[in-house]
Amino acid sequence: MTFDSSLLLFIVTFLPLLGAFMLLAMPREEENLHRGTGLAITLITFICSLFLIPDAATAKAGTWSAVLDWKWIEGLGIHFKLGLDGISLFLVLLATFLMPVVVLSAWRAVTRKVREFIIALLVLETGMIGAFVALDLFVFYLFWEVMLVPMYLIIGIWGGDRRMMASIKFVLYTLTGSLLMLVAIIYLYVQHHQATGVWSFDYDNFRNLVLTTNEQVWCFLAFALAFCIKVPLFPLHTWLPDAHVEAPTAGSVILAGVLLKFGTYGLLRFAMPLFPAAVALAAPYLTVLSLIGIVYGSLVAWSQTDVKKMIAYSSVAHLGFVVLGLMAWNGRAVDGAMLQNLAHGVSTPGLFLSIGVLYERRHTRRIDEFGGLWAQMPRFATMFLIITLASIGLPGLSGFVAEFLVLLGTFDAYRVWRDTGMPFMFGHPKVAGAIAATGVILGAVYMLFMFQRVMFGPNNNPKNKHLPDLTAREVVVFLPILLGVFWLGVRPTTFLDHIDPAVRRTLSQFQQKYAEAPESGKTPRMLVDAPNPAQGAGRGPGQAQPAGGTQGVP
Amino acid sequence: MNQFDSSWLGLTAPLNVVAVGGILLLLFESFTIGRGAPAGAAGTHGGAQDDRPARRGAGSLLGHPRAFLATVSLIVLALAAFLEVSVWNTVTAPQVIYRGMLVVDRWSVFLGMVFIVGAALSVLVAGGFMREHRFEFGEFYALVLFSTTGMLILAHAADLVTLFIGVEAMSLAVYVLVGSWRHSAKSSEGAMKYFLVGAFASAVMLYGIALIYGTSGTSSMLALAEIGRPGRPPVEVLGEPVFLVGCFFLVTGLAFKVAAVPFHMWAPDAYEGAPTPVTAFMAAAVKAAAFGALVRVLATAMSRPELTFGPSGWAVVSAVLATLTMSVGNLAALRQDNIKRMLAYSSVAHAGYLLVGVTAMAFAGAEARGPILYYLLGYTFTTIGSFAVVAWYGSRDDERQHIDDWAGMASRHPAAALAMTVFLLSLGGIPPTAGFFGKFYIFRVALSRPGLGWLVIVAVANSLVSVFYYLRVVSTMYFRELGREPTPIQSPGMVGSMFLAALGTLVLGLIPSWLVELASQATMFLAR
Repeated sequence: MTFDSSLLLFIVTFLPLLGAFMLLAMPREEENLHRGTGLAITLITFICSLFLIPDAATAKAGTWSAVLDWKWIEGLGIHFKLGLDGISLFLVLLATFLMPVVVLSAWRAVTRKVREFIIALLVLETGMIGAFVALDLFVFYLFWEVMLVPMYLIIGIWGGDRRMMASIKFVLYTLTGSLLMLVAIIYLYVQHHQATGVWSFDYDNFRNLVLTTNEQVWCFLAFALAFCIKVPLFPLHTWLPDAHVEAPTAGSVILAGVLLKFGTYGLLRFAMPLFPAAVALAAPYLTVLSLIGIVYGSLVAWSQTDVKKMIAYSSVAHLGFVVLGLMAWNGRAVDGAMLQNLAHGVSTPGLFLSIGVLYERRHTRRIDEFGGLWAQMPRFATMFLIITLASIGLPGLSGFVAEFLVLLGTFDAYRVWRDTGMPFMFGHPKVAGAIAATGVILGAVYMLFMFQRVMFGPNNNPKNKHLPDLTAREVVVFLPILLGVFWLGVRPTTFLDHIDPAVRRTLSQFQQKYAEAPESGKTPRMLVDAPNPAQGAGRGPGQAQPAGGTQGVP
Repeated sequence: MNQFDSSWLGLTAPLNVVAVGGILLLLFESFTIGRGAPAGAAGTHGGAQDDRPARRGAGSLLGHPRAFLATVSLIVLALAAFLEVSVWNTVTAPQVIYRGMLVVDRWSVFLGMVFIVGAALSVLVAGGFMREHRFEFGEFYALVLFSTTGMLILAHAADLVTLFIGVEAMSLAVYVLVGSWRHSAKSSEGAMKYFLVGAFASAVMLYGIALIYGTSGTSSMLALAEIGRPGRPPVEVLGEPVFLVGCFFLVTGLAFKVAAVPFHMWAPDAYEGAPTPVTAFMAAAVKAAAFGALVRVLATAMSRPELTFGPSGWAVVSAVLATLTMSVGNLAALRQDNIKRMLAYSSVAHAGYLLVGVTAMAFAGAEARGPILYYLLGYTFTTIGSFAVVAWYGSRDDERQHIDDWAGMASRHPAAALAMTVFLLSLGGIPPTAGFFGKFYIFRVALSRPGLGWLVIVAVANSLVSVFYYLRVVSTMYFRELGREPTPIQSPGMVGSMFLAALGTLVLGLIPSWLVELASQATMFLAR
């Protein structure tokens, strides 16, 4: 929480934007210079972002680290406030980690308007990091919308044949949710002013604001719509396959790796702590939707003939797990959900990169066009196999721990829901856990089926006889992904040690605020006491007590 | 206040400067450039005549015959802007001058700046446009200044009679401007429609003023604001049906001028037919002036709660107008293939967002006026910028107003495409632009009072619809292959106008705090 680390956070956020301006000043023809600059900027950003970890570690007790708080629009109480905690830290790292990989992967794939492409990527990176670290909801909304335009351009300019439709669909889906969220944010802002006489968009202030159940439900609906579209939760997922299929590989990687995480991040960071009473009402419904998403996403993925579309639907299933974990509302499940975010954020980009490799060589993504590639491309086959197994959730690789924690937490959900008085709509949580577990099995089925048809068997298609194996550059692209996959599988505690305190803090505040929600129309007011960790909600048995106090921002 | 006070001249200095500047320009045009060559006045707008060396003698900074006049009008506007700043510093409290006819307050000064910005940006666009399309005539600049004079009178009006004079002075000049593109049939059609509807609206408004005067015995807005006080009209007037009809007609007349649905029918045709710089001027400055007048009338002359609330109060009327204007404007814009016409409907829709702010004023009072001012300034930059790009992109033989003509434009003119994208995103309300912050600012005040949540939801839904057609243009510019080679107009003035407008749009979106501060200082009115 020193001056240095907050400045570092500022630099990490805006360095990519600075790089975009630098590129604007460069001559148009020097394409390798553009790529090189893009790679350098994203690498420096990643290295800088690594230095955020030590500071976050000292703030392990579950407070914000690297808080930066500048007055921006004083008349309206808008602050430029950024900060990190265990939940956002690794999502920021995920974004900064993936960007150099993306730039490198697009080295040969993007040959048109290279400078503009790199600029779009860099602006997007600033938007993503900013949205993860914003602690003022106005600033959050700003970054959230800023992400939209470069992604729209990436799909629209460098995308496939139906890119016009896919890009507009992407924007309209996202905007539908976010505009209603804006209304809810302004509503909170006004309510906060009525309760305290202070105009503020500060997240910590909003979190201490007590609203009636009715208000909470409406605001939650607005927030949850925005985030569930982004997740994407069934039945709001229909933009995702189009966007993925039409986007260039780099776009798909960012979309799956980082942008989708905003949905679950937003639910955990904003929608749930701000409106606990509404969450209690909505949790069963969202649980059911996430279960449908898991099973339906898996089944639809199974029936795809286009590999990219299959991966897109598998994202629907994987992120269904995240929502399931969030809605179980105990430490284990939420930890698992956040870990699943990271696991999906590493393995799915890896899958998209693998498909990108195939597409660059064959210009098709149809499963039946391939077969027997193992002998042709042994290096690629190894990489692809490891990533596929990680996506399935093989123990020792990234997906396993996360899905396991989520399932474990879901089996415990009933206990929590009863404790918090949450109504329970359907059957037993063990049923929910069982349904979700079938998703894991289905995931293994369609992924292995696809892998088998693409990589094994006879190589009958003459077009596939002379496919070159991975180049050195492509191997370099895959290595960081493999590192992430193994690290998440073998040492998940590296991440959980940071995530867990932040999750516990969020849960305990949630619990306290839930208890305070007035039933009917009263003037808005603020929580009197600072949130107390002793009342922490839904600690699964055998989990450690959160360490230290859970004060808000000092 | 019965004696003439020479300080009044100082307080209305910007108005005086613009009016005198307009007259001088007109005289100058008649006595120098126009002499012996009826091209400017009589309608033979041959390009060859315009290029005759003798006619270059007037001196030109920008390299064409009438650039001198454009330069003079820009200097006049700059001087007026400078004077507005000094008036701003003088009037810490509102001052009534000319025996209750005009009022000088920061509201009118702020609005004056909006008009000046609008006029200046339009003048920058106009030179190149008129030269390209061969209808260059010097009175153009004089007419813009006359219209600006009318707007300034409108902004300062403290009496319904001055209000009417302002509206007429503004509108008469704009009728001529709309029709000035004489070899364009659409221009004549638009001018005719605009003139007929405008004259009708003026008549309705004047009739309303007459009825108000007839029942209450006063046409002073300040007196009407204080109905029931000693020396003012008695409270019973408020129950008088004729008085209410008068108020209704007055508001209707102003609703015509802001092009609120269902009084918008003239707008698409007039906007599409008018020379594009004039369209920009109308969509931005004329609209701002009409809104300024509407807000002034509602907040002073009709500020009594009996007139504001209730089933026939203006709060309800304004909410209904806002809903209709936003929805009809956006839905109609959705199905336009002509960019100019699409922007015309979009300008109707934006009047709807502004009416949300006007509705909020019924509940929040002066607090709602800051957002309206902010929105008007941001909208002026944005909309003039977008029309400037449209004007710049087409050449004489090939106006390129169909959306397909814009395919692949970004690959030839990336800077202009980027500017257009900024304007369109701002119109759609996507950060970090003036359009986003303006909408946020209006929504904030509307949500700060109970009861207007539904209107904000309607506005938000409309924003979403609007993004669809704005992005359609962006998609066409960026995502499609280049069609015919574009032949934009070579004009430094146009490029400058686009650049300044884009800069204004972004600055207002990124660092709005200083303007928020100024706008909140400009909300002081007399009465209420």
